[in-house]
Amino acid sequence: MKRIQEDRDEMAFSEIFDFFAPKINAYFIQNRIKIESSEELTQEVLSNVWLKSNLYDSKKSALSTWIFTIARNKKIDFFRKKSKINFKEEDIREFLYQDREVDLIEENEAKKQIERINNELDEQQKIMIKMNFFENKSHKKIADELEIPLGTVKSRIRHILTKMQGFLT
Amino acid sequence: MNGTVVRNQLIFDFASGLLGPAKSIFASTYLQLNSNASKISSAFENMMGENLMDNENVHPKNLKYTDCIKNKNDKSTSNLKDPVTSFFGNLNDLDWKQVYKGFKEYTASIDDKDELKLIRMEPGVSVPLHSHGGKEYILVLEGSFCDEYGEYSKGDIQINDQKIKHTPIASKDTGCVCLSITEKDVIFFGKYGSFLNLFTFIKSFFKQK
Repeated sequence: MKRIQEDRDEMAFSEIFDFFAPKINAYFIQNRIKIESSEELTQEVLSNVWLKSNLYDSKKSALSTWIFTIARNKKIDFFRKKSKINFKEEDIREFLYQDREVDLIEENEAKKQIERINNELDEQQKIMIKMNFFENKSHKKIADELEIPLGTVKSRIRHILTKMQGFLT
Repeated sequence: MNGTVVRNQLIFDFASGLLGPAKSIFASTYLQLNSNASKISSAFENMMGENLMDNENVHPKNLKYTDCIKNKNDKSTSNLKDPVTSFFGNLNDLDWKQVYKGFKEYTASIDDKDELKLIRMEPGVSVPLHSHGGKEYILVLEGSFCDEYGEYSKGDIQINDQKIKHTPIASKDTGCVCLSITEKDVIFFGKYGSFLNLFTFIKSFFKQK
């Protein structure tokens, strides 16, 4: 990323592209966006990475986190436009990322945090988090796919929400 | 549902992009003013970033990296502002509506089913004992208030549901400005709207007894 920020190195960008483009594209498809639109959105996300590379700060987050936030913002915009809701929030989202205090996540702090979370959550909880918050599936859909009762999904997700507090210290 | 769960749900839903416009403004202001909430949100986004790293691959068919370098249509980022200022502008310039002496509110016009409001209470002013139709979220922007459940200052959030009855009082020294979201069960609009809302308000008083 440094090579892109400092030298506008296109080869370095192509590496990021090769790694992330298929994953971002999959993210949009998982969020029930059709393939024509998903590729268009993927292009917008990676164009942002190239154009706004100066906004990325490795002290604030991992690169994958920053790219996730861009993809998420594009997704929000896409669905707002689709349901004709006239409200843009990309600027607000970018403001929050910029505003984030650097000392909140010191070097490697993010990594440690993820390790801690990975240790505390079991496989099924991780899958549930991914399905609920990454793929934005309803609790009902999660219950159907995992073949467990809806009540179990609700209580387990509630448990994760409560537990979250403990990962921060 | 306890407060922590509802609060974290709000943060997670915001970070996942699941909220409507009104709650998005509310949540982003909360993250800006409350460093603990901001930490939870960062941790959560890191988890989402991990999910992206480990995500499966669906290779785009018609996309090359050079397409992303050529594409220059994106606007460049300029003066980013905090959520409240970028949405409401200067709070002193708003057309505040006086509900009663010392209590003013401003309802945002926003494309959403949830209602987004600013509330301004003069020092020492109180709200009569009341309960809530739908869920209500309150975030303190300036000053503080207290009620039967505790004291709330800048960056603190209070979430009230139907079960909660309270009498908030604005701080004697500073008064308070709050941002609120109301999820409404029944909303009355139009010519007789305020009359009907008053009616449900009065009715709720009798329900409490």
